[in-house]
Amino acid sequence: MTLQQTSAAALPRPARRRDRQRFWQEVAMIAPAVLLLAIFLITPFLLSFWTAMTNQPLVPRPTPVRFVGLLNFQRVFTDPLFWTSLWNVTRFTAWVLPVQCGLAFLTALLLHQKLPMQNLLRGMFFLPAITSMVVVCVIWGTLFQYPSGPLNQIVGFLSGGMVQPIDWLGDPNWAMFSIVLLSAWQAYGFQMIIYLAGLQGIPEELYDAARIDGASALRRFWHVTMPGLRPTHVFVLVITTIQAFKLYTQVAILTQGGPKESTETVVHYMVRAGFEEQKLGYASAVSVILFVIVLLIALLQRKLLRRFDV
Amino acid sequence: MSDLVLSQPAPLAIPRGNSKTGLRIVQTACIFIIALVMISPLFMLFIASLKDDRFRILADMGSFRAFWVADPTLSNYREIANFSGELAYGRYLVNSLVILVVTVVSGLIINSMAGFVLAWGSLRGKAVLLAVVVALYVIPQESIIMPLVVMMSRAGLTDTFAVQILPWVASPLYVFLFYQFFAQLPKELYEAAEMDGASAFRIYRSIYMPLSLPALATVSILMGIESWNQYLWPTLVTQTDYARPISVAIATFFGQDSIYWDRAMAASVLMMIPVLILYLAFQRWFVSSFVGSAVKG
Amino acid sequence: MTTYLGNRLLSALFASSALLWSAGFVEAKSVIHVMHQGDPGWVKAYGDVAKRFEEANPDIDVEMIYAPHDAYNEKFSAAVMAKQLPDVMELDAPFLANYVWSGYLQPIKPLVDKDVLDDMTGSNIAQGTYPIDKDLYAIGLTDSSVVLYGNKKYLEAIGARIPKSVDDAWTREEFEGYLEKLSKLEGVKWPIDTFRGYGIKTEWITYAYGPLLESAGCDLIDRKAWKASGTLDSEACVKALTMMQTWVKNGWVVPTSSGTNQFYAEGQPAALAMGGHWFYAEAAAAMKDSIVVMPLPKIGDKGVSPNGTWIWGISASSENPEAAGKFLSFLLKDKDYRDYAKTQSAYPGLKSFAAESPLYAEGGPLAVAFEQASKTAVARPPHPAYPTITSAFMQAVDKIFNGGDAQEALTAAAKKIDQDIEDNAGYPPFDEQQ
Repeated sequence: MTLQQTSAAALPRPARRRDRQRFWQEVAMIAPAVLLLAIFLITPFLLSFWTAMTNQPLVPRPTPVRFVGLLNFQRVFTDPLFWTSLWNVTRFTAWVLPVQCGLAFLTALLLHQKLPMQNLLRGMFFLPAITSMVVVCVIWGTLFQYPSGPLNQIVGFLSGGMVQPIDWLGDPNWAMFSIVLLSAWQAYGFQMIIYLAGLQGIPEELYDAARIDGASALRRFWHVTMPGLRPTHVFVLVITTIQAFKLYTQVAILTQGGPKESTETVVHYMVRAGFEEQKLGYASAVSVILFVIVLLIALLQRKLLRRFDV
Repeated sequence: MSDLVLSQPAPLAIPRGNSKTGLRIVQTACIFIIALVMISPLFMLFIASLKDDRFRILADMGSFRAFWVADPTLSNYREIANFSGELAYGRYLVNSLVILVVTVVSGLIINSMAGFVLAWGSLRGKAVLLAVVVALYVIPQESIIMPLVVMMSRAGLTDTFAVQILPWVASPLYVFLFYQFFAQLPKELYEAAEMDGASAFRIYRSIYMPLSLPALATVSILMGIESWNQYLWPTLVTQTDYARPISVAIATFFGQDSIYWDRAMAASVLMMIPVLILYLAFQRWFVSSFVGSAVKG
Repeated sequence: MTTYLGNRLLSALFASSALLWSAGFVEAKSVIHVMHQGDPGWVKAYGDVAKRFEEANPDIDVEMIYAPHDAYNEKFSAAVMAKQLPDVMELDAPFLANYVWSGYLQPIKPLVDKDVLDDMTGSNIAQGTYPIDKDLYAIGLTDSSVVLYGNKKYLEAIGARIPKSVDDAWTREEFEGYLEKLSKLEGVKWPIDTFRGYGIKTEWITYAYGPLLESAGCDLIDRKAWKASGTLDSEACVKALTMMQTWVKNGWVVPTSSGTNQFYAEGQPAALAMGGHWFYAEAAAAMKDSIVVMPLPKIGDKGVSPNGTWIWGISASSENPEAAGKFLSFLLKDKDYRDYAKTQSAYPGLKSFAAESPLYAEGGPLAVAFEQASKTAVARPPHPAYPTITSAFMQAVDKIFNGGDAQEALTAAAKKIDQDIEDNAGYPPFDEQQ
């Protein structure tokens, strides 16, 4: 989003006819995506703006659908559980960003070199990312078991029995942290391959030049690799933040927002209102609010990243 | 590609010399160990798929016995290798593959073209368009799925392949990813080609696409996984075996009264294989550095 | 779903393909669509029934549609919104009132064979009846119940009295006394598993814990005035849930994250299990003879047990209701279907099926469970607001079990339920029912 240094304006302006031809070609190239997005994403989402201002149920009912103005929004904002869920996803994002992106970056660095059995290694590191979330939850549900699940046994062993078993998913103080662990593990492969592609994009010549200048590996890392990955970092950060705010599946399968609302997320809150309690109008209001909040965060992030020129 | 493309901090301190091969072996071994630790949770899945009694699997859960099987059997795999009858997993598998291939191929073309125009096009307001694209990624699938169901059924697309492909071909994430990748390439490329009188589409096809193998591979893999694991959407829009994907069939193992742990585990392992193949096939594209050589030339 | 304008827009967009779709409907045979939960065993069983039915009725084609259990309700909603409700469908009994009130179902008495109707148990009739017109809207081969499973070894060790019938179920004093004793017994890690591991989405909490509240003299909602405030947040309910909270606090209850297998897992760490009839199959497979089945304890003066399961209804929009009813009658009498149900330790909802099920017959291991159906079973509140009732209650229980204040949590839940009823103008004519 911030990455482009060259704009079309800087290019030399060719003749008018070619301009027009180029314009239509560009339109034709961007049209399929715009059209599909308009039909399958924007239209249903715009409908939800309207739905949010009605008392529409999920499925048709004998009672008439009424326009209720901002009532749904007022109710969302006055429901303490909504604020809890917002706080929870913020917490989740703050934790999962460094863990997941850090893991992805490190594994990408490890794998971006000539290694024996490189394919095998890359395949291994990528396995969690191709495991479906349902299965991941089954596996981690077992690992997390209280009091004698594998994870607790490891913790007990490493601490020589000093640390009492932890109720990973059942203790309100631990549940969100456990979800962070599981999510980072499942999804780091996603960011990893984006980093791998990014690393690939750094011209080899830059490294050669640095080597000729006698730069140490560490210096090459800071002065070639890191700047070369700047756009990738920004991309990964923005994408991971947005994904984190949409946290849903893991929570729906493992904790359903509990214990004691400690893992309630905005999307889970929305799904419960819309699908379980059948209040589509209310759920639409939540989704509109989530949209605005995450958009603001994405814009803020962009501003900050620009300022610090990361 | 004679040396490490990138040296990470770890081996810096070690002096150069003939110990290099030894060092590399140690290094590789370390990476292997890390990899094994990372995927250790998946052993449980694999081990469980070799136990043929679902009650046994259930009873073993929550302890280290979940990581051990005394009498491995392939009976679970045999049971789901069923290509006809009520639950024709073979057919579902083919359906899923068709959906995956069509989604990924058309997705690559459509999203990369859009990303290209956003990066290098001369369209007015493309900055706004880009912002909109990022904003669209914010929308969770859960909040549009019901209106989409209604739209699709009105369009008469229920129970088709199209309904499982069309909505997910264009994706804000991948348009953004392609944009990001293209924008990163040196502007001299575009300028030079334009000087030569190449049209926008030509520049895209003949210059940018061949340079984008890492991005294409990334998007193929990510889209492939996404398409392969789609579950709620196909459940809502398929009715018969005609277009039902494998993910929906496998979800039925997690039943109402009982979970068929034995077959669910075997099926989950099998589910991973096609995506793994896809990944291994495409990740080779990461290896060669096209960008570097192109800039040089 | 969409607005009028939206509708117009969409129909214009898709007009041509819509034409193609409607052309597909021109067929000589009548086709009925049947939707059910796609558990692999059942997919096969129902598929076979459909084949036999088609052979017996060459003029009717049956098309089976299945959806996985955890997405079934979403699938149902999607079908309603897409105006593609199948002719025959499986539905969860407590949601029946909501569906009938919304107009999706039609009375099935005129459509289903009389001998099948006469065969229904009282509890089966109760789960399929809509309270406003007292008419039958759904029918099933099966029903369900929850019992108290005990580990013989532990119960003998503490000298517990083992009830033989529903009438001599444990009282609250006995029950809590045994829990206390079991908690001190060697080998017992937790005195009871109440299956918190099922989570707070699966209907389990309302289904299984609701009856304990009712036994204690309160309810989820006042079933005459249809108001939750004053009932769900009454002293009786607060006391009952505080009681359960104390069990949790004392460490007597298997925690949520310990799975659902602690009753029979190695070492048998849980001594009792308040579990559904379906739990018997897995527990008996692991424990053989050391399992005892007892009625649910009486918390107050009367014993109460849950009922209701997934049953079959015929949609109001069905174009072939007669054929649908014919299929339903055929299904419920089908021998192979019943045989398969038996292998799943299905709880009988038809008298003739009960007679064929040794598991539930007099002297059978689950006889007590079946006895509960006629003596203590109470359906979950048959009201269209049920989706909100159950969701609010489950969240409240989660809060309370994790140390929240019972009064506060129940008051919030009651408010949420009443708000929903108010938002729907009292769900007429339920508001006039007194």
